[in-house]
Amino acid sequence: MDEVIKVDKLTKTYGNLLAVDNVSLSVKRGTVFGLLGANGAGKSTTIECILGTKQADKGQVSILGYNPQKDRRKLFQKVGVQFQECDYQPEIKVSELCEETACLYKTPADWRELCSQFGIGNKTKTAVKSLSGGERQRLFIVLALIPNPEVVFLDELTTGLDAKTRRDVWKILSDLKKKGLSIFLTSHFMDEVEVLCDEICILKKGKVVFYGTVEESKVVSGSNNFEDAYLILSGEEVDGA
Amino acid sequence: MKSFLTLFKNELKLNIRNMNMVIFAVIMPLIVLLILGFLNGIRPAADGVNYTFMEQSFGALCTISICAGGLMGLPLVVSEYRERKILKRFQVTPVRPIKLLAVELSIYIIYCLVSMLTLIPVAMIFWKVTIHGSWLAFLGSWLLTMISTLSIGMMVGGIAKNSRSASVIASLLYFPMLIFSGTTLPFEVMPEGLQRIVIVFPITQGIQLMKATFLGLAVDNAVLPFIVMGTITMLCTGISIKYFRWE
Repeated sequence: MDEVIKVDKLTKTYGNLLAVDNVSLSVKRGTVFGLLGANGAGKSTTIECILGTKQADKGQVSILGYNPQKDRRKLFQKVGVQFQECDYQPEIKVSELCEETACLYKTPADWRELCSQFGIGNKTKTAVKSLSGGERQRLFIVLALIPNPEVVFLDELTTGLDAKTRRDVWKILSDLKKKGLSIFLTSHFMDEVEVLCDEICILKKGKVVFYGTVEESKVVSGSNNFEDAYLILSGEEVDGA
Repeated sequence: MKSFLTLFKNELKLNIRNMNMVIFAVIMPLIVLLILGFLNGIRPAADGVNYTFMEQSFGALCTISICAGGLMGLPLVVSEYRERKILKRFQVTPVRPIKLLAVELSIYIIYCLVSMLTLIPVAMIFWKVTIHGSWLAFLGSWLLTMISTLSIGMMVGGIAKNSRSASVIASLLYFPMLIFSGTTLPFEVMPEGLQRIVIVFPITQGIQLMKATFLGLAVDNAVLPFIVMGTITMLCTGISIKYFRWE
């Protein structure tokens, strides 16, 4: 299996704050990689440095063999991204946003089909601002999948979704993974991480404190429950425990 | 090209839905035309000249939409897209920045064109406005004025820190140019001191050139407007592409 994402000794500071501290990771083709950590642990900054939307101070990044900043236009033909904070033109409709996204790619997926797969097929004529939070979240996952990507980045993918919809989204992503899609995600839901992720990396104050599989994390932390394992490893609960 | 057209179609729809430019770039020039028309009718611009006041003002009326688009619409839309992180979403797609700028630019060109195409028949039918010079020269001057003003807007939108500062800069450029460059208030009625100041506005140069070409007057110093507007276009376009920021 070849590496689709390779990050080597990535470091990023904001003033005095060390946001990302010497992070190295690698994601293999057709796997799901989860980047975990508390709010402010440096997940989003790490993603942005990997994507090249933020300039890292140090370190090397390659996605599908491309340098994200130098080869931006080639890379993003094959990579889909859902940012945590997405915004859209104030009056835009779902269909217009999808169409506007699809037109940028050489071989886009059928966005109508994606919308109905994600349960918003009947909302295409609606203004994006009138969608519910969950519908909007699903729309942004759709937008990330429109490129027919080889790699997709999903930052907090199921935040705001109800239990049933979360399961539906997991199912779709698992199917896409079987077809060879590589997924890089962040999430605060450990059930989701346990179901989806082949490998995880836990960040604390910008540093990698755990790197391995979900099962390994349980062994290392001496806990049967993954959420407990996560809390112990991320140091959110261990202080004094 | 296909992606340009799709973006253009969608962005134009969004822009029309917003209505601001429909009002300021299409309806407002018509209203000014009607007011000037009812006030002045078909009287000559001055004693002993063979053109009317309305003919003298026609070029200026065509620049109201140029001002609105270039100094209000374009800078605000570019800076708003950056501030709302819409450009950031485009940053992680294969689109070129210059394509996005070109799409927005084209939308404002359309407004300017629509405005002129509505002014011409109204002025011709109601106040018998006819061109004394040459259409070709007039359209050339119009094009130069429009491109130079829109390029200012692109630069302001490109380098403003956020949409608030873009809006402040836009107003600082828009209102003085709209009022004092001869767009709404004829240049000729301004005191000489003021005329000397506003002559440096590119749009003043544009209006003078459009007026001369419309009325068929001899342009005694045609080189100056060309130099002013050409320099501004190249400078502003260069800056807005070089300093383009997604975020």
